[in-house]
Amino acid sequence: MIAIDRVSMVFPDRDRRTVALDEVSLRVGEGEFVAILGPSGCGKSTLLELVAGLSGSTGGSLLVDGRPVTEPGPERGMVFQDYSLFPWMTAQENLEFAIEQTNGHHSREENRKKAEEYLGAVGLKAWAQTYPQRLSGGMRQRLAIARMFAIGSKIFLMDEPFGALDSLNRAYMQDLLLGLWKRGETDRTVLFVTHDVDEALLLSDRIVVMTPSPGRIRETIDVPFGRPREREHLNSDERYLELRARLLRLLYDELVDSLGGRTRLRAELA
Amino acid sequence: MSDVWHAALFGATWCLLIGIVLLVPDAPAQAIPDKTPYLVGLGIIAAAFAVLALRAKPDRGPAFDLAIVVGLVLLGAEVGFAKLVLLDPVLFPSPARVAEVFAVDYPEMLDGLRSSLILLVAGYLAAVAAAVPIGLVIGWRRRLYRVAYPIAKTVSPIPTTVYLPYAIVLLPSFAAASIFVIFIGAFWPILVGTCYGVFGVDRRLIASARTLGLSERVMLTRIVFPAAMPSILSGAMIALILSFIILTVAEMIGASTGLGWYLVTNHQFANYDRVMAGMLLIMLVVIAVMQVFDRVQDRLLAWQQPS
Repeated sequence: MIAIDRVSMVFPDRDRRTVALDEVSLRVGEGEFVAILGPSGCGKSTLLELVAGLSGSTGGSLLVDGRPVTEPGPERGMVFQDYSLFPWMTAQENLEFAIEQTNGHHSREENRKKAEEYLGAVGLKAWAQTYPQRLSGGMRQRLAIARMFAIGSKIFLMDEPFGALDSLNRAYMQDLLLGLWKRGETDRTVLFVTHDVDEALLLSDRIVVMTPSPGRIRETIDVPFGRPREREHLNSDERYLELRARLLRLLYDELVDSLGGRTRLRAELA
Repeated sequence: MSDVWHAALFGATWCLLIGIVLLVPDAPAQAIPDKTPYLVGLGIIAAAFAVLALRAKPDRGPAFDLAIVVGLVLLGAEVGFAKLVLLDPVLFPSPARVAEVFAVDYPEMLDGLRSSLILLVAGYLAAVAAAVPIGLVIGWRRRLYRVAYPIAKTVSPIPTTVYLPYAIVLLPSFAAASIFVIFIGAFWPILVGTCYGVFGVDRRLIASARTLGLSERVMLTRIVFPAAMPSILSGAMIALILSFIILTVAEMIGASTGLGWYLVTNHQFANYDRVMAGMLLIMLVVIAVMQVFDRVQDRLLAWQQPS
């Protein structure tokens, strides 16, 4: 369980301080899939980095399974939009290295087998000896996800992982992630940052909408659809359309506000 | 089609060159009794270019073009120096006379080559072995960098050859002195390249590595080091070129063997055919060493190539 309690993050810049997060509170239960939705600058990536332990907050408390987060660790796996993989290691070496570093007590042979197994799970067996540079964007993200599973992370922190992919690849990756997420006996918690409303609705149990300057949680919305979800069915579900419209409005209002309010925008457009 | 055309032009240039060497008599000032060494040399060069061109894929054009240019330069030297004697024959010996030097002096040259390469390799590798780990740690620990940077900035531009006379006096042998000076000279560019490389490592890669919970040692050796490799290698390349300069200067000042010594000694005796041969030899050595460097670099950075 992730317990975020009135967490703030202030960056003291030279002439003005930026409040990336302003007393944000959020609880994420074990096995829950939570999407964090918001425009750029709302602090959603910052929040993820805090949970990962990559940076320390300037206020509030952040507990994972009752213990304060002080440093990164493999139990909280992270996937970035890109740059999750090490470009000087082949697909296989990337997985083997991650496995070897996180459970070093296994033999080399075991680690290799495990790496191969996870490569197979994301359909990259034929690309084992290929460097990331020569893989497509979708393949790289599959590999990054495979790495997270391979090191046995309990919490998945995903920072717009499919943001750089074309829509077809993105749909494929979303299905792949959902398929892998519920596989096996362990309950994996997912914090998934996105600015794509449809993606949030398709994937998550709960959507946290954040607003920028200062970064705050504006609203938390429960997603009422059961699992497994099929995107074709969702599209014809009335609740889906309603929720989608509501979320878009929330995001759109934010955008309008940041541009100086609806009235000013209207005046400028006229 | 274009390959055939290139090959024909290459053949024509080199046949013309060899024909003129063989058939047109030298001017008396440049005449030598035996041209076998030069002809053998020309044969080796032509064969080397032919092999190079045949192995080049997919385009053989550049290799042939290079061979044609070299052929034309040699042709110009042959006609200008050997046949027409357009320039002072003492300062500008004919190519055949230079080739003869290789045939006569090769034991001395090989000796010099060996002793020079020992100094170069020892000093250079010691610099790599010292500068890379130090650079990694300094680049990684910003606080160390703030201490080291002003020192490096002050000391590194000083041409290391200025330490040479002192080093020769202080150290037990000339070899030790020149290894030391090459070491110092090669050290700075590699150190700076390594530091910059470490600075330039993408923050997001480091973040990704940190989520694996790596120890600092693993972080430096398996993440920061390879990530900084492109920059380390560009520093190492500059260091290698500097090492050659320092080596030859050192040998000109204090050695009793080696490539630089061969040059300066023959210069003192006004043996300009030998000076010319010495320069050619050094050029060939530099080209060969740079080839080796390129191969190593390509292998170390294979992951950067997109296809």
